[in-house]
Amino acid sequence: MFRNSYDNDSVTFSPQGRIFQVEYALEAIKQGSAAVGLVSNTHAVLVALKRNAEELGSYQKKVIKIDSHLGLALAGLAPDARVLSNFMRQQSMSSRLIYARPIPVARVVNAIADKAQVNTQTYGRRPYGVGLLIAGVDETGPHLWEFQPSGMVLEYKGAAIGARSQSARTYLERNFELFPGLSRDELVVHGLRALRDSLAQDKSLTSANTSVAVVGIGEEFKLYDGDEVTMWLEKVGDVGSSRGRTEIEQPEASGSGPTAAAAPDTMDTTD
Amino acid sequence: MNHTPENWGRPRDDIYGFYDKSFLQNTGGAQQHTTRPVVTGTSVVALKYNGGVVMAADNLASYGSLARFTDIKRIKQVGDHTIVGAGGDISDMQYLFDKLLESVLIKEEYQNDGHALRAPHIYSYLARVLYNRRCKFNFLWNSILVAGYDDEKKPFLASADLLGTRFSSPALASGYGAQLAIPILRKIAPDEASVTKITKEQAIEAIKLCMKVLFYRDARSMNKYSLAVISEEGVDLTHGVALENESWKFAETVRGYGAQTV
Amino acid sequence: MTSIGTGYDLSNSVFSPDGRNFQVEYAAKAVENGGTAIGLRCQDGVVLAVEKLVMSKLLVESSNRRISTVDRHIGIAFSGLIPDGRAFVNRARDQAAQWRRNFQSPMPISSIADDMGGLAQAYTLYSSVRPFGITAIIGGVDEDGKPGLYMIEPSGLYWGYYGAATGKGRQAAKAEIEKLDLANITIREAVKHAARIIHSAHEDSKDKEFQIEMTWVGKEETGGRHQVVPKELQEEAERLAKKALEGEDDDEDEEKEKMEE
Repeated sequence: MFRNSYDNDSVTFSPQGRIFQVEYALEAIKQGSAAVGLVSNTHAVLVALKRNAEELGSYQKKVIKIDSHLGLALAGLAPDARVLSNFMRQQSMSSRLIYARPIPVARVVNAIADKAQVNTQTYGRRPYGVGLLIAGVDETGPHLWEFQPSGMVLEYKGAAIGARSQSARTYLERNFELFPGLSRDELVVHGLRALRDSLAQDKSLTSANTSVAVVGIGEEFKLYDGDEVTMWLEKVGDVGSSRGRTEIEQPEASGSGPTAAAAPDTMDTTD
Repeated sequence: MNHTPENWGRPRDDIYGFYDKSFLQNTGGAQQHTTRPVVTGTSVVALKYNGGVVMAADNLASYGSLARFTDIKRIKQVGDHTIVGAGGDISDMQYLFDKLLESVLIKEEYQNDGHALRAPHIYSYLARVLYNRRCKFNFLWNSILVAGYDDEKKPFLASADLLGTRFSSPALASGYGAQLAIPILRKIAPDEASVTKITKEQAIEAIKLCMKVLFYRDARSMNKYSLAVISEEGVDLTHGVALENESWKFAETVRGYGAQTV
Repeated sequence: MTSIGTGYDLSNSVFSPDGRNFQVEYAAKAVENGGTAIGLRCQDGVVLAVEKLVMSKLLVESSNRRISTVDRHIGIAFSGLIPDGRAFVNRARDQAAQWRRNFQSPMPISSIADDMGGLAQAYTLYSSVRPFGITAIIGGVDEDGKPGLYMIEPSGLYWGYYGAATGKGRQAAKAEIEKLDLANITIREAVKHAARIIHSAHEDSKDKEFQIEMTWVGKEETGGRHQVVPKELQEEAERLAKKALEGEDDDEDEEKEKMEE
């Protein structure tokens, strides 16, 4: 593998002003399975693909509830996500304890962003190796944020992270204008369709490998796993990957084409 | 004999010899916190009405029985629709108002994310601070009233004291007002349901009456006060309001003060 | 680049034989590619503006703000690594809060610039940290209404400015700022100039979508508070900016035509 002398720690700039250790940490997200999030005027939805390491093992947890109004989906190093989510739970609880107020989504997201930034400027630490999609509802409505190991956080109308997430993102870019007016159920279906586009060839969404989570105005964060997912998959209909299928025209499935090329460079933290 | 608190319960030096205080480390004696308020403010009174809350507190800071400062503001506006009134130790009040609340407000403002702390949140914060200090046996010697609107945009009024005790009612008063003003206010606001029938004018009138009665009977009060009216338009907070229709005529009928009839 | 391969550029706080700190210079490189940020110090206050490149249409336009409020009367705009900027702003907020705790008064702009310059400099001194990958523009008004504007570089170097610019379009922006009579215009007027300057600095990277984010602070105009420029005023400023730039293009075209003739 290609190496250079500037990538040993997170306190060294390359001559171009890049920090390679941070960029490598961003790569760790792509090692994880995909997660998709999207928002309407009333709801925020997270859907994620779970992986099982072996046939007899359980599926890796992808969605973590933080508070009754807040939860996240992860891609990358799950233990790092647990550290961050425990921290978010602490922040959330102290907001309720001190101010008797559910923590505003942006505040708890900024709290982990600041925590992650420290790891990119201090010797002897490594950046977190996980990307998060945080969905929640507060007084200003439903929100979806993306967190990156660089300490970058951005609010999205729809976002996708993890392996082959570009296909899901393409789906979101084509359909996001519909999202604001969608009902709760329609929003979930769009999320699952986006997730379906990130499936590997010959794979399908199943009740075993799919997680769905919904939170809305006046509606607590609810995670659907296992059998509970079946009803959602039935609403989607075709749950199989379209990769390699020639009869259906799906140019984005190849990961190229004009839309994909114009896709955002999410690694770029400089704008 | 030495009667200072650190000697309470200790063997007497004249009988048992010098008491080894070295375990008290470098404090030079037992650690002592505030045991009484010094410069004090008296009552704060407040009443809910059908569109908000009215609150009043006089502008006096007493040093014992001396009327030491006569232009002290004991009601603070916190954000658009919230006010806090404080009685008890004035320096502790200034610490709460000018240091803690100000810092909390700035931190809330600079987020610039469309969220703002409202009365229940400010109240929760202050009650937690008071309770936290009482747990350290280092009280902030105040009783506070917080007024504004709750999450459902209904009038909010609640109190907390130096122990961190919370209490809420449509009519509240601290200090001497708890004895003298509450009976007056409860006549028009006996319960939460009655609030819907009280108009703003009625509430202001009732509060003004309370301030007058309190000035008559509370020896630590004065005839100039701050009056705050919370309505949907915001907070109308006026300092230095003069007591109206003051008359000491009734004093003649007070036994032991006026001419004796019996 | 001569620095590469010498080994003197691999750790922070190390001098090369010719007396340079390469890691600090590399940090400055991170700034050069960031969106343009400017600050204008006028007679009655300060205007801050940034060019916010829109990386995805999925982003929420009204969120993801780039100019931060530090205390009621102070704002910071920056260019470079955004997470570094957030960390820098948080430190500034701590400093301003500490000043209030100590003195019960708002922190003077010169003092916060001094503190934050010192902080940036401290991050060039140790191999256990790296410099901040940002150039920050600090603006605000003092208690007496006097405006202050300072720009802090990754090295910790800072100066006071009438007009400051950093980021990708800084050269073009500086050229435009120099044409302004900043000491004699109000922030209400400067808002329009700021929008135009950001637009013209963006010219070189025309293909990329961008938004302008503007804040202002003035004793009279905003009651001494650092605030987002009102929507109507910003829209008006942007409309005028686009018009002015189209006008320029026409002029250029006309000139070209004349030349050809």
